[in-house]
Amino acid sequence: MSTTTVTYDDRTVRGFMTFSLIWGIVGMLVGVLAATQLSWWQMNGKFLEWISFGLIQSEGLSYITFGRIRPLHTNAVIFAFVGNMVFAGVYYSTQRLCKVRTASDILSKIHLWGWQLIILGAAITLPAGLTRGKEYAELIWPLNIAVVVIWVIFGINFFWTLAKRNEPSLYVSLWFYIATIVTIALLYVVNHLSIPTSLIHSYPIFGGVQDGLVQWWYGHNAVAFFLTTPILGIMYYFIPKAADRPVYSYRLSIIHFWALVFIYIWAGPHHLLNTSLPHWLQTLGMLFSLMLWAPSWAGMLNGLLTLRGAWDKLRTDPVIKFFAAAVTFYGMATFEGPLLSIRAVNALSHYTDWTVGHVHSGALGWNGFMAAGMFYWLAPRLWATKLWSTAMANMHFWIGLVGILLYVAAMWVAGITQGLMLSETNPGGATLKYEFVETLQTIHIPYMLRSFGGGLYLIGFIMCAVNIIMTARSGKATDATAEVKILPSTKKDRMSLSEAFTSDPVIYAMLGIVFMILWFFLPPHADKAALVVTILLVIKGVSVFKNDTKTWADYFGRLLENYLPFTVLIFVAAAIGGLVQIVPSLLVNRAENVEERLQIPYTPLELAGRDLYVAEGCYNCHSQMIRTLVPDVLRYGPAKDQGYSRLGESIYDHPYQWGSKRTGPDLAREGGPLVVDSKVMRIGRRDNLWHFNHFLDPRQTSPGSNMPPYPWLFEAKADFKSLPKRIAVQSTLGVPWPAMSRDEIEQSARDQAMEIAESLVKAGAFLPDRPDLTPENLRRHLAESQVVAMIAYVQKVGTYDVVEKKETPPSKTLNPDAHRQATIPNP
Amino acid sequence: MFKRVVYEDWASIVPIISFVLTFGVFAFATIRALCLSKSRCQDLADIPLRDSNPEPKN
Repeated sequence: MSTTTVTYDDRTVRGFMTFSLIWGIVGMLVGVLAATQLSWWQMNGKFLEWISFGLIQSEGLSYITFGRIRPLHTNAVIFAFVGNMVFAGVYYSTQRLCKVRTASDILSKIHLWGWQLIILGAAITLPAGLTRGKEYAELIWPLNIAVVVIWVIFGINFFWTLAKRNEPSLYVSLWFYIATIVTIALLYVVNHLSIPTSLIHSYPIFGGVQDGLVQWWYGHNAVAFFLTTPILGIMYYFIPKAADRPVYSYRLSIIHFWALVFIYIWAGPHHLLNTSLPHWLQTLGMLFSLMLWAPSWAGMLNGLLTLRGAWDKLRTDPVIKFFAAAVTFYGMATFEGPLLSIRAVNALSHYTDWTVGHVHSGALGWNGFMAAGMFYWLAPRLWATKLWSTAMANMHFWIGLVGILLYVAAMWVAGITQGLMLSETNPGGATLKYEFVETLQTIHIPYMLRSFGGGLYLIGFIMCAVNIIMTARSGKATDATAEVKILPSTKKDRMSLSEAFTSDPVIYAMLGIVFMILWFFLPPHADKAALVVTILLVIKGVSVFKNDTKTWADYFGRLLENYLPFTVLIFVAAAIGGLVQIVPSLLVNRAENVEERLQIPYTPLELAGRDLYVAEGCYNCHSQMIRTLVPDVLRYGPAKDQGYSRLGESIYDHPYQWGSKRTGPDLAREGGPLVVDSKVMRIGRRDNLWHFNHFLDPRQTSPGSNMPPYPWLFEAKADFKSLPKRIAVQSTLGVPWPAMSRDEIEQSARDQAMEIAESLVKAGAFLPDRPDLTPENLRRHLAESQVVAMIAYVQKVGTYDVVEKKETPPSKTLNPDAHRQATIPNP
Repeated sequence: MFKRVVYEDWASIVPIISFVLTFGVFAFATIRALCLSKSRCQDLADIPLRDSNPEPKN
């Protein structure tokens, strides 16, 4: 057999690693800034006045306000820091596992630089308030398309490399990479389906509950397939390399992989527990989350036990130290995740900092430490030298570890404290004990500790960057070579797609699943027939298996040497969970299927205000979902006819704004009825002047609040010109807008704005920065301003019409214990 | 039947379906993993540690 010398493309690996470090530091720095903003509102811009000795005069700077930079932080850390780290690990290990150079250098370059351009685009657009308003999916539609293009290029390069490989079998790391590439493509495309209204704005095609469901199907699985599966692939490659011994149990890795890929995709609805999401979906999300314990811990144990016999290296080798701690954090985070998915626990934890702490134990501990371990292992090899300072790497480990523990512990304390306080009632149980702002003030110290912990972790990563730079400077960029035997194309990928999907194991499994689904969905009697067919198929399958056991047993073994059918199988496994959850919600989310309440559509001005609400990232701190829990209802929907949020109340919201964290109170019932003698102006829980002053200086109306002021809303003009296009797109999406011409839309917005501005001036609204304005000029100024559009929206949130109930048969009162016979024991 | 999927209380059936599906996947993966021969497992586990590749089998 002929051999060849392969020169690996390590230049691309160096590129991704370098960018991961750069963006990682940027992302963490933004995170620390955002954390301090929660402790001190002045960090939203006022501090610039102090550090510039008064040169910059601002109560708040829009570009760095919390609602805008929190998405910047999450996107930078997920897609820029971890994303680049993943690509570095994938490019390095795939070449070695396939014993071949990456298929195309040009595609690698496009991938490397295209990804950085996207990140740069995000770093510019997010602080500018250009967002889709969905967590971890905030980037505007042109960037979404760029992400898809670059991802496809990455996929082509990866699969092309697999096709050219000189190693017949696919190592488990490659399975995890395949799962990442196909599943992220599926999730990203579905959750980013939007209709543009301009070059920088679009509306997602999903609305209300369906948007929520799709969002968390994506959001949860972004964690699963972007922050977990590729890192697991990296774990299965780099830990054996660092410990110089094979993975503890290859068999366990098989179970780990298939169970994880199949189960993870179903768990998304646990982000919407106790909301108005259909109960069966919540149950599904909770159960699959609990069952994730098993595969997650299988992976953790497999990773840790790979270090058997190499534990002595823990004292001397920072790489092993980082890997051991990272896998331990993986175990902790994957224990905590299912715990938080239990409905009763979630009732306490959701919308609080407990979830934030959970996410950071995964991001900082699992992702961050795996990245650090991998970088310290790679740097000496990529630059053909020794690590510049082992002592500094060890110092990084301890500073980082203390930082994570401080951060996570602070968030546990803050989350549990706030969750308990928000639920606490006065004696008698009919009223709540604490104001929202009181709970916020109580967790001030944990918030400060969080900033400190995050700061320590950032310092650790700066040390890592210095160490890597100095290592690179002390060595020379080197592309490794290897002498490999050329594998003829006839010795790999011999299973065609048709052969793969017409073999008995697949046919019987697929038919079984199809008829089982039909059993769930078909009308009475037909469903029973489907059940009978399912049972017959199982019996027949078992009989065929008995007669031809070898073919069935060989099938999976052959699959490991054939990447294309393997990939399709992963896609099918991932798609089933998504389809079962999302397709039924397509029916739920229609006006004709809504029970009890139906959202009152917005007016043009209210829509303009809503788009501003989304742009400012208000959803990062305010939810719009009163859960089906007594404390939530007591706090946010106490009136007799209100109660918890119903599905129909947000059915026309593109995007939905249920939120995932309450740093401020829920706003689902903030709006209210029309003012007497007005056709459009509404007053909700608070009057227009309250909102005016609140946006100007939140502490004026809510002493102790940490909300940033929004001075720019009072100066910037509302965008009325784009409304016709936006309304046209919403109509296409099924929102029932009345027929209006362009002029009518604009006039309607201006009339409503003028009415609100007039009410503000009459009530004594005052702009401290514009004392020169006469009442008439102030009225005209405000009628053009963004703040009035925002007030119009806030006064509308949560308004609904009661839906006439259809004729239904009277319900019978059931006693579940009716079958029991009361017996009186004989004396 | 589809109406039931959307509206009715699934508390009694969803947990069973979830468990059966998960158990099925675990059982399939476990049986498959156990069926893999020890030498094949070792061969696959050694891939990252090998600088070169083995002779392909026919």
